[in-house]
Amino acid sequence: MNRFFRGVAFAVAGMVTLGIAAAQAADGWGIEGEKIVRYDAKVVDLLCELTGDCPANCGGGKRQLGLLKADGTLWPVAKNNDPFAGATDDLIEFCGKTITADGLEIHNPKMKIFQLQFKRLAPDGKWARANWFTRNWAERNPGKDADSWIWEDETVKKLIAEDGVLGVPGLKPKE
Amino acid sequence: MGRLRGLFVGALAALMLIAGNADAAAPKRVKVSGEIVDTWCYITEIMYALGSAHHRCAIWCAVGGIPVSLKGNDGNTYMVLKMEGDGTNVANPAVLKIQSHEVSVEGDLYERDGVKYLIVTQVHDDKGVVNMTHKEYGVQP
Repeated sequence: MNRFFRGVAFAVAGMVTLGIAAAQAADGWGIEGEKIVRYDAKVVDLLCELTGDCPANCGGGKRQLGLLKADGTLWPVAKNNDPFAGATDDLIEFCGKTITADGLEIHNPKMKIFQLQFKRLAPDGKWARANWFTRNWAERNPGKDADSWIWEDETVKKLIAEDGVLGVPGLKPKE
Repeated sequence: MGRLRGLFVGALAALMLIAGNADAAAPKRVKVSGEIVDTWCYITEIMYALGSAHHRCAIWCAVGGIPVSLKGNDGNTYMVLKMEGDGTNVANPAVLKIQSHEVSVEGDLYERDGVKYLIVTQVHDDKGVVNMTHKEYGVQP
């Protein structure tokens, strides 16, 4: 079993075991350089933070967001707890606000990134799982199964139809 | 005199601090060639994440809003935050179309806290998918 599926299996098993009430404790994914963390940080628009190009409301969900810690350290949030999804949907309503972020810091020499698993408005908001990509996808796609969003999504279907599974029109993998 | 000297030293320190911050925030102009990759899968090595083998997953992740990066031939990995003037970087349609492509770009590099952020101002070349990894790895996942 590759590490991706092992990581997902660990995460799901952890959620089932702990239950929702205690779910605000991040699960390890077995990723090299991962560190389970929970801290307060301000939600920022990465482009704004770096360049001063600052549209209203952190870009309204169209921009990558980060966590700015009190010591000035900036962490780009690359992933939430949904399959194959980022964390903008989870963070956008907290733009400019301080949240308590619960997840994984990935300390990789190539790049440091953050995976968000749970969040709440600091200091004592209600905990929520970082799975609002599929929540919002389900709202945009009534009647479709959000757990299978990668197979159901119209943008994905269009891109794969145009360029193929391998990214080269006309080239197909062996059956 | 002592008070004046104190004011002078304080003002000098403030100027040095401002200058230091300006240096830290200033971008560096760069030209980079390499492969457009899915940041999460590539960095975490949670699966094989390069070339044609991983193209479909790269599409899933980019549509899902995971940041896209450029694996530079110079050995560095750059998170792409802007593409040719378009300030949106979550599932950006232009970026979705170049997943797994070999590209040459020019832009502004910002480095902060262990991350190289790239503001692409111009794509000079797009060779499409040339890293035919599916021959060895099949389709991942």
